Amino acid sequence: MAAADVQLERSFRQRFGDFWSKYGFAISLLVPCTIYMLFFLVIIAFNLLQLSLTHRVSLVEEVFPSVQNYTTLATSSQFQEAFIRTVVFVLVGTPLQLVAGLVLAMIIYRQFTGRGIVRSIFLLPVAIPALVTASIVAYMLFTYPFGHINDLLLGRLFFPGILTEPVKWYASPYSALGLALLAKVWRDMPISMLILLAGLQSISSDQYEAAESMGSSGWQCFWYITIPLLVPAISTVLVLRSIEVWKEFIFPFIIAPTYPILGVLLDHVYHRMRNPEMAAAIGVVLVLLILLTRLVLNFGTEKVRAYLVKV
Amino acid sequence: MSTTEKAREGPVRKNGEGHRQRINWGTIIWAVMLIMALFAILFPIYVVFKTSLADRASIVTGGRYPEPLWPFDPNFDQFKVLFGKEDFITAGLDSLWVALLSVTFALLLGTPAAFTLARFKFPGMATLALVIIAIRLFPDIASAVPVAEWFMRPPMVYIPPLIQVALAHALLSAPYVVFICQGVFETIPRDLEEQAQIMGASRLQAFLNVVLPVAMPGVAAAAIYTFLLSWNEFIFAYYLLFQSPNTTLPVFMLRLLTWTPQRNYLAALAVVLSLPVILFTFLAQRWMISGMTAGAVK
Repeated sequence: MAAADVQLERSFRQRFGDFWSKYGFAISLLVPCTIYMLFFLVIIAFNLLQLSLTHRVSLVEEVFPSVQNYTTLATSSQFQEAFIRTVVFVLVGTPLQLVAGLVLAMIIYRQFTGRGIVRSIFLLPVAIPALVTASIVAYMLFTYPFGHINDLLLGRLFFPGILTEPVKWYASPYSALGLALLAKVWRDMPISMLILLAGLQSISSDQYEAAESMGSSGWQCFWYITIPLLVPAISTVLVLRSIEVWKEFIFPFIIAPTYPILGVLLDHVYHRMRNPEMAAAIGVVLVLLILLTRLVLNFGTEKVRAYLVKV
Repeated sequence: MSTTEKAREGPVRKNGEGHRQRINWGTIIWAVMLIMALFAILFPIYVVFKTSLADRASIVTGGRYPEPLWPFDPNFDQFKVLFGKEDFITAGLDSLWVALLSVTFALLLGTPAAFTLARFKFPGMATLALVIIAIRLFPDIASAVPVAEWFMRPPMVYIPPLIQVALAHALLSAPYVVFICQGVFETIPRDLEEQAQIMGASRLQAFLNVVLPVAMPGVAAAAIYTFLLSWNEFIFAYYLLFQSPNTTLPVFMLRLLTWTPQRNYLAALAVVLSLPVILFTFLAQRWMISGMTAGAVK
């Protein structure tokens, strides 16, 4: 019995030794990075949940666990407004990002002289820090009452005027958040472009030649070949970009701080109201929304693909 | 014979012309789109450069004349003022220090992990790779809160704030380092390290002395990417440095924004902040692209 135990142990050791001599080096290279990431992941997930479930009654008194933060959020009109703004922001912003990226990708897809330089220029927006882009939009282009865009609209530059009064860009949630969205789309165009360009380049030219020889127009080629075969790339763009738009903070924070979306509201709650617990609850809501979007979009694009690509 | 040929030529040529004309229409639409796209991208960038050179009369118009598209009296005064300010210089040096530290952390953590992911296959590896990327699921704005709160607790609060920021930036950039370097290592033939091992090098020596030097251009690109990520990063720096006297350049810029600054001065700061990024993006374009689309493939 004891001998068998010893033998078992030895064989276990031997097997472990084999495993270690085979993979030990690989594992020890991988371990520091994994531990670092896992450590922060646990800190972030755990602290976020713990904070959001802590109800602070006063400076010294707190109740844990409690869903008080969530019920307060659910009834607060500020949160509801921010929630609706964020949903609209995502619903309008994601398709815009897709269209902007698709337009750039279709332009650059063609072979022409100077293509390399144009591609480098198309990559520029993403190279510029978001804070700089936001301040260009808010402080240099769309200023009130003067500034380039208002000058242009009033007919003070080259074109005849369209308006008689300068636009108060930051007085309405539509124009303020619209500008934030514009800046966001402008900055992220190159990323969608690169993904869609890779998708376009993977479509073989045989398909277009076959379609053309059967007499289909360019427009038909686009709708019945390019778009269906681009669905994987499009779904990647939609998933990634919608997550990015949910996460968005800097542009609305600089351009439309008076009309907070969820990220900006979180920052207001954390920095101005000094309420980390409530901020964490908003953070949890954001994470859940992102997970939900991901699931819905994955499911949805799978359905669309099944519908479009009939074999 | 000749007449029938002519008769035949007529419609054929017409047909050819019609065909050519259709292509021309496509080309015209394409060219218009190209010009519009170039304008939409270059105009805002032009405006920030122009404003950074503007004199006072070109930005404070009082509505008597439209803001000029090129300043009346372009000069470098704003840049001189900026580089003469001590807090700007300090912020710039702090930014540099944070970026270099985070590059060091991210490379030390990421390069070895990337090597393993590129070379070995063993059970549970996919899960480990997932752990490395999972951080990207959280919005920065949501993860900054628990990280900032965690760094406020007693043992961690003694870590200097700039190092805290560098640690956070390494957290954000390590996945990119892993991804870029994995791609680089996969292009290096296995024979190289096997040869080294046959000649008596250990696996570690083979990695450090043979594989890494060959992979250097790719690793350098990952380093540049990490550097720029840290140089641009705003949210974590803003949360971790909120009550600290230290600033990185983006946080410095935000503090400037809250006092409604002169626009030419703001533009000069914006140019200083973006120039290194624009230059490096042009120089290391191929690798920047692999970083930008990193999330798309996984």
